[in-house]
Amino acid sequence: MSEKKEQKPSISRRRFLTYSIASTAGFLASGVLYPMVRFAIDPLLQKGSDTKFVDVGPADEFGPQPKSVEFHIQRKDGWYKKPGGEKATAWVMKTGSDILALSPICKHLGCTVKWEGGGHKDHYYCPCHGGLYTKDGTNVPGTPPNAPLDMYETKVENGRLMLGAVKPRGGA
Amino acid sequence: MLKSMYEWLDKRIDITPMWRDVADHEVPEHVNPAHHFSAFIYCFGGLTFFIVVIQILSGMFLTMYYVPDIENAWKSVHYLQNEIAFGQIVRGMHHWGASVSIVMLFLHTLRVFFTGSYKHPREFNWVIGMLLFFVMLGLGFTGYLLPWDNKAYFATKVGIEIAASVPIIGDAAASFLQGGEVVGAQTLARFFALHVFFLPGILLALLGAHFFLIRKQGISGPL
Amino acid sequence: MAHNHDGKDKEVHYVGDSRVPQNKKKLYPKDYSEYPGNTEPFFPNFLLKEWMVAVVVLVGFLALVMAEEPPLGEQADPTNTGFLPVPDWYFLFLYQLLKFKWASGPFVVVGTVIVPGIAFTALLLAPWLDRSKERRPFKRPVATSLMLISLVAIAILTWEAEDEHEKQLASLPKGSSEEDVKIVDQNDPAYEIYKNQACVNCHGEQLEGITGPPLKGIGDAYSAEQIQHIMDTGKGQMPAGMFQGTPEEKRKLAEWLTKQKTGKPKSTEH
Repeated sequence: MSEKKEQKPSISRRRFLTYSIASTAGFLASGVLYPMVRFAIDPLLQKGSDTKFVDVGPADEFGPQPKSVEFHIQRKDGWYKKPGGEKATAWVMKTGSDILALSPICKHLGCTVKWEGGGHKDHYYCPCHGGLYTKDGTNVPGTPPNAPLDMYETKVENGRLMLGAVKPRGGA
Repeated sequence: MLKSMYEWLDKRIDITPMWRDVADHEVPEHVNPAHHFSAFIYCFGGLTFFIVVIQILSGMFLTMYYVPDIENAWKSVHYLQNEIAFGQIVRGMHHWGASVSIVMLFLHTLRVFFTGSYKHPREFNWVIGMLLFFVMLGLGFTGYLLPWDNKAYFATKVGIEIAASVPIIGDAAASFLQGGEVVGAQTLARFFALHVFFLPGILLALLGAHFFLIRKQGISGPL
Repeated sequence: MAHNHDGKDKEVHYVGDSRVPQNKKKLYPKDYSEYPGNTEPFFPNFLLKEWMVAVVVLVGFLALVMAEEPPLGEQADPTNTGFLPVPDWYFLFLYQLLKFKWASGPFVVVGTVIVPGIAFTALLLAPWLDRSKERRPFKRPVATSLMLISLVAIAILTWEAEDEHEKQLASLPKGSSEEDVKIVDQNDPAYEIYKNQACVNCHGEQLEGITGPPLKGIGDAYSAEQIQHIMDTGKGQMPAGMFQGTPEEKRKLAEWLTKQKTGKPKSTEH
C-alpha cells in the first residue's frame, strides 16, 4: 500500500501499527529471500571461465580457401564435464599472412553455415533461411542475418594453429 | 493508482469482506504472549507455518540447481553448496529447516494436546493436523534420499526394508517406493517426485483446510 | 460486525451473505466476549506481535544455518559394506524400537506395524478416545499420563539410538591399515565353529565385517574373557546370546579370536 504520505501532524495508532507490520514483514521477507535470490541469480554474476586456446593442427595446412576443422573444448558446465570435451568446428582460412577462423553458427537463428553450401559460389550459406555471408564472414545485405559471423581468437605457436574464445563482430 | 485498481476489483468481486474477515477478527488475550508470557505456547502453530514457508521457498530455489539423477544428484548438491553464492546458506535453510519444522510441529501438537483443544467441536481439525504430521514425516523421509550420499542411500534402504516387513501390503509398498529392482535411479526419481510435487500438494491442501477450520471455529477458549 | 459494507454500489449483489452460513446454534464463541480480559483485532495488533516472535525465531534460525554447514557425505556407493545406516533424528526412536527382541526377527511386525500403528491411531482418534468436556491436563490424568509416558519413551529410545550409533562409529576401523591385516590361522578348528555360528553372517568369512564390524586384528583390542563377555551380552547392534554353541566351543573361539592380531604392534617389530 503505497499511498502518498499525508502531512498530518500525527499519525494514527492504526497507521503506526500498519507501518511497523510492513517493516517487520520486510525484514522477514528479506531475511528469508535475500540468500535465495542471490543464490538463484549467481550465474548472472559469475565471470565466465577463461577459454583456453586449443590446438587444431599445423598452421600451414590452411590456404586461402576456407577449410572446416573440428576440435574439442574442455568446458565445465556446473558440475558436468563432458568426457573428451565438447565438439566444436570452425571455418579456417588464410587472408594474406593472417589466419581467419570463423564460427559456423549463423547469426540469424543459430543454424550451421557451410562454405559454398547449396551451390552458392564464394559464400557461406545457411540452409535454414537462406542466409549468405561473404568469404570474410560479412553478412550479405538482403539475407536474414544481420551481423557478420563470429570470429575465433587465433594464435600460432610453434607452427601450430591455436583457437581461443569466440568474439562477436557487431551488427552491420 | 493502487487504490483505483483495488476499487475496480472490489466493485466486481467484492473482495473487501474477504480480507476484512481475516483482518478484523478478534484475537483473545489468552493466546497473546504480550499479555501473559506463557501464551507463547500458542505461537508454535504459526511458527511451524513460517518454517514451512521457508522450506517451500528454499526448496523451490534448490531445484534450480539440483538434478534428481544418480549420476548427477550428489555432484549437483556438492556444486550448489560449494560453488554457488549462498549455496551453503540456502541448502542449510532447507536441511536445518526440516528439523526445526518437525520440532515446531511437535511442540504445536503437544500444546493442542495438553490444552485439550482437540475436543468438541474441533475433532476434525485435530485429525487434519495428524495427517499433516504424517505428510511432514513423509517429506522428511523422501527428502533425506535426495542428496544421494551414503547416509541418504543406506537410510533409505533400511526404510524401504522396514516398509517391506509390513504384512500383506508390505511388498507392494516397498516396490512402490523403490520403483526398480534396487534402490537406485528409479527410486531417486520417484522420491524426488513425491518430495517435490505430491507431498507438498497434499500438504498445502491440508494446510488450507487446517486454517479454514481455525478461522471458522476460532481459537479454543482459555483453560 | 467485522464486515464493513461501505455503502458503495457493488456490481455484484449477493443474495444474503451466502459465504457465511447462518448458524443459529453457535458451537463456539467467536468473539470471546464471554471470557474476561481483552481481545484485539488480528490485524494489525495481533499480527505484529506474531511477527515479532517470527523475527526472533528467524534470527535464531539464520544463526544456526550460518554456523552449521549442512552435512553432505561421500557420494552414495551401494557396494560400501562398512557404512552404518542411520535415519534422520526424528525417526531414530522407531529405528531403535526395531532392535528390541520382541520387535525383531519373527516379531518385526510388532515394531513396524503394531506399536507405531497403535500409537498413531490413538493420536488420530484422540478426540473420540478422550470424550470428556474437561480440557485442563491435570483433570484428565489418563490422557496426560499416556502422552507423558510416550514422550519419555520416545526421548529414551532416541537417546539410546544416538548413543549406540556413536559407539558403533567409534568401533569402526579407522584408516587404511585394515587392508593388509590377514586372518590368522584359518585352519584352526575354531574357524569352523566361527563359520557354523551366526558370527559369520555379520562379521564375514574373512572377518572383514559385513553388517557388523570387522574382527581382523580384534586380538589387539580385547582379551579372551572380554570377547566371551561380548558374545554373551552383545555389543552395539549385536544382540546378547548370539553364540549358541557349547561353553567349550565358545572358549576356543574366543581364544582363536585373540590370536587375530594386526601383527604390527611396535614391540614385536623391533
